[in-house]
This record gives sequence, structure tokens and C-alpha cells, in this order.
Amino acid sequence: MRFNVINYLIGEGISNLFKNKKSTISSLMIMCATMLIFGLFFVIGENINAFVKNVADAQEIRVIIADTATEEQIEEIGKQILEIDGVRNAEFISKEKAYEYMKEMLGESGAELLEGREGIFSVSYDVTLTDLELNDEVQESILQLEHIKKIESANKVITQVISLANGVRIVTGGLLILLVIISIAIISNTIKLTVHARRKEISIMKYVGATNSFIRWPFLVEGVIIGVLAGLLSVGIIWGTYTLIANKIAETSFLEIAHWKLLEFKDMFKLILTVYLGLGVGIGVVGSSISMKKYLEV
Amino acid sequence: MIEFKNVCKKYGTGTDAVKNASFKIEKGEFAFLVGSSGSGKSTLIKLILKEEEPSSGNIIINGKDTTFLKQNRVPYLRRSMGIVFQDFRLLPDKTVYENVAFAMYIVKATPKHIRRQVPMVLSLVGLSGKAKMYPNELSGGEQQRVALARALVNNPSMIIADEPTGNLDPDTAWDIMNLLNEINMRGTTVVVATHAKEIVDQMKKRVIHINKGVIVKDDKKGGYDCEI
Repeated sequence: MRFNVINYLIGEGISNLFKNKKSTISSLMIMCATMLIFGLFFVIGENINAFVKNVADAQEIRVIIADTATEEQIEEIGKQILEIDGVRNAEFISKEKAYEYMKEMLGESGAELLEGREGIFSVSYDVTLTDLELNDEVQESILQLEHIKKIESANKVITQVISLANGVRIVTGGLLILLVIISIAIISNTIKLTVHARRKEISIMKYVGATNSFIRWPFLVEGVIIGVLAGLLSVGIIWGTYTLIANKIAETSFLEIAHWKLLEFKDMFKLILTVYLGLGVGIGVVGSSISMKKYLEV
Repeated sequence: MIEFKNVCKKYGTGTDAVKNASFKIEKGEFAFLVGSSGSGKSTLIKLILKEEEPSSGNIIINGKDTTFLKQNRVPYLRRSMGIVFQDFRLLPDKTVYENVAFAMYIVKATPKHIRRQVPMVLSLVGLSGKAKMYPNELSGGEQQRVALARALVNNPSMIIADEPTGNLDPDTAWDIMNLLNEINMRGTTVVVATHAKEIVDQMKKRVIHINKGVIVKDDKKGGYDCEI
């Protein structure tokens, strides 16, 4: 296609937007609203995901080995733990190391208490997971090994966080589907209005010998522009609101207690922008195609 | 150029719009298509434009059987014809020049070609001075001239006109017919469906009469009234 034709088609699409100001603005607003609701859950979900990941990184299962185990057996246990599905790493903690850790934790005053008591500590492995959801399974598998004294971990909190994250993920997914359906309906309706207003022009185009794709392009451009504008507007609004709220929350130091830092918007910016623009373009294309179908049969 | 072979058209409602029509319009010919309202004239035009499909029979245009033409080839068929309607069908928000250039945009002509071709056809139809005016600033006859210019601008091999003078007063109607005649003199095939008895009688061109879907008479140099 030649440059001037592309110019013409895009120009027509843009002028459609202005001829049809009211419906353009209203569909832009409704699309923005649905995108914002989706964005809200998306942002919350991303934060929870980040939190879960943080917890997963910090969370260790401490596997304490029975004192009766020989050195070879201890080594064997280490290998076996690493073979379990979901285990990322198993770090060997010798009696001396455990003693050092404890000393560090207690500080100078406590160190005296521990003097000469290295013997009370047990050998252990600090196990980290690839996926927090596998926590229960991994623990079970480890307990089946021989010479295990006990396992220490904070699993209650983990399961709660995971179920929360899953809940948010389901809601976000549901909203995404809803958003897509609503937006396609809105855009196709807006474009139906333009198409209807220009049905005479379309029929003339058909008689002069315009191909369907030539007729379709301006309307496609119109739909995509509405979608992309709604996406950009939503990103802007979410950006502003999120930063504002995140700063307010950060001031309260409420999250510090939970060792939770909110994500910065720039961490999510690319993802949100991609999702919104992808949605905008996709919805625009599908919406306008639906509304064109009827009018192309001349 | 245009050939109908035993063409029948039955609409979904059960109306027999065209019954077993056969005729041939040669290249460079001028033919009137006459008949009362509801006689099947418009259906014949629609069949030529491939806006409607024949129920049976074959339609051959420019040596090609269009009966089995794929839907996506129809635009290219239509580019070989210029089409003029009774109600002009101009775009009200575009100037005379833009209305004509529009037809060239659609066939993806270059800007250079458009700048050369549009003034040429506008002068052919005698509207050079009104290129920047809008359709509502023109008289009916002038609007139909714009429509003619639009039909001509892509150099079609034929002009199909459906009641082109139906909305015009007799004098203006003559202007348009003379213009069509002039275009025909330049070698373009012209098919005109019309009610304009007087014009048909005086122009002494080929007249194809249709009545209740049947072609009842085909006069080489006929008039509107004919004995059946």
C-alpha cells in the first residue's frame, strides 16, 4: 500500500473520532473505568506476588538432624534433600556454625552464656524452596528420610499468604475477562454509530469499487485509537493514584513491621503498559470488526 | 461487453423480478433500459453490478462470466464500470473536487495522477469553476454532473446509470443525457435505465423494454412506446 493511502486511511479514522465526539468520549470513559478496576486488582496482585516471593526467599525450613547420625549419613541426607521436588538449596549448618549464629543473635552479653557449650547444638540443613506452595509436600518428604530429629518452619503464615495471592489472582483473571467483554461491546457499539452515520459513504465506496479491507481500515484505526487512548489514560491515572497511596502507606511504617515494602510503580510500569496497550489494540480490532460485518455486504 | 444468457432472478420473497432475460450490449454501444416501476429494471442494473446474484443463467461482463465471481473480486469488477444514481449519492461534507478524488483514492491512485485527472473530468462535465463548492451549493443538474465526473474519473469501460434524470427538470435532464451521449462518443459503453419517455424517443438509441421481468422488445433504434 502506498504512503498516501495509509495516510488517507489513518486520517479518516482520526476524523471519525472527532465527528463522533460524544460516543468517543463516553466509550473512552467506560473503557477507562473498567481498565482502572482491573488495574487496581492487578497492582494489588503484583504486590502480593512480590511479597510471597520475598517470603519465599527468606523462608527457610530448618531440618535438624538427629545426634546419632554419622558424618556419611549426614552427607547422604543433604543429597537426598536436594533431590526432592521444590527444593532450591540445602545449606549445611555445622554445630560450630549454629553456635556462631546464636552468638551473633544474642549479642555480647549473651555470648558469655554460650561459652564452651558448642555441644548443645545439633547439625542441620537450611532448606530453601523454589515454590512456596510446595512447602507442605517438601516437609513431608523430608520427614520420611532417616535420622531427622525435627523440622522448624513458619508454615501457617505461608499458606495464608499463598491463598490470599491465589484469591487475588482469580479475581484479577475474572476481571480481565469481564473487562474484555465489556470493552468489546462498548467499542463495537461506538463504531456501529460511526458506521451507521457513514453507511451512505460506505455504499458509495462499494459502488466505486473499494475493497472491504479499504473500507474497514478507518474504522479499525478508530477502534484502536480509542483502545490505546483508554490504555494510556488508565496507566496515567493508576500511576498517580498508586504513587500517592503508596507514599501515604510508607509514612505509617505499618508495613515495616511485616518486612513488606510496596513495589514502586516503575517496577510494574512496563507490564501494566503492555497489558493495557495489548488490550486496547486487541479490543479495538475485534470491536470494530464485529460492527463492520453487517455493512460490508453490498 | 455485457451479455445476459437466460438470466432469471427470483427474490427470497417469491417475486420473479427477471424472467429468462437474454441480451447483449456491445462495446461502445448506448442502450436505454425502459419499463414501468417494478418492471425489473433496477434488478437488471443490480445484476450487472453484481449487487444481486442471478437465480439461474449467466452474466458475462467484459468477456468474463461473473456468475461465479468470488465476493472479494467484486470490487475489481466494479472498477470497470462507472455508476450513476438517481439521487446523485455525493458526500455532503466533501467538496466537488474531493468527491471526485475520493473515487481515485479508493483505487489507490497516486497523488500526482489524482491532481492531473480530477480537473480533467471536471472540465469534461463543465464544472471546472465549481471544484471548491459543496454539493448543497449546487443545483440538481450540477450535482449529477459531479456524480458523472466521479463515475468517469477512473476511466471505466462502461457507464451504468440508474434513472440519472429522475430528479431533474426536463432541460437539465437533456443536459445530462447529452453529456452521456458525448461520453459514449468517446468510446465508453453507456447503459441508462430511465423513465424519460421524451428523451428516449428523440435520441434514437437502442431501447431494451422490460415488463414484469420479461424483456418484451429490443429496438436497435427505438422509442419509448412500443407495440407488444
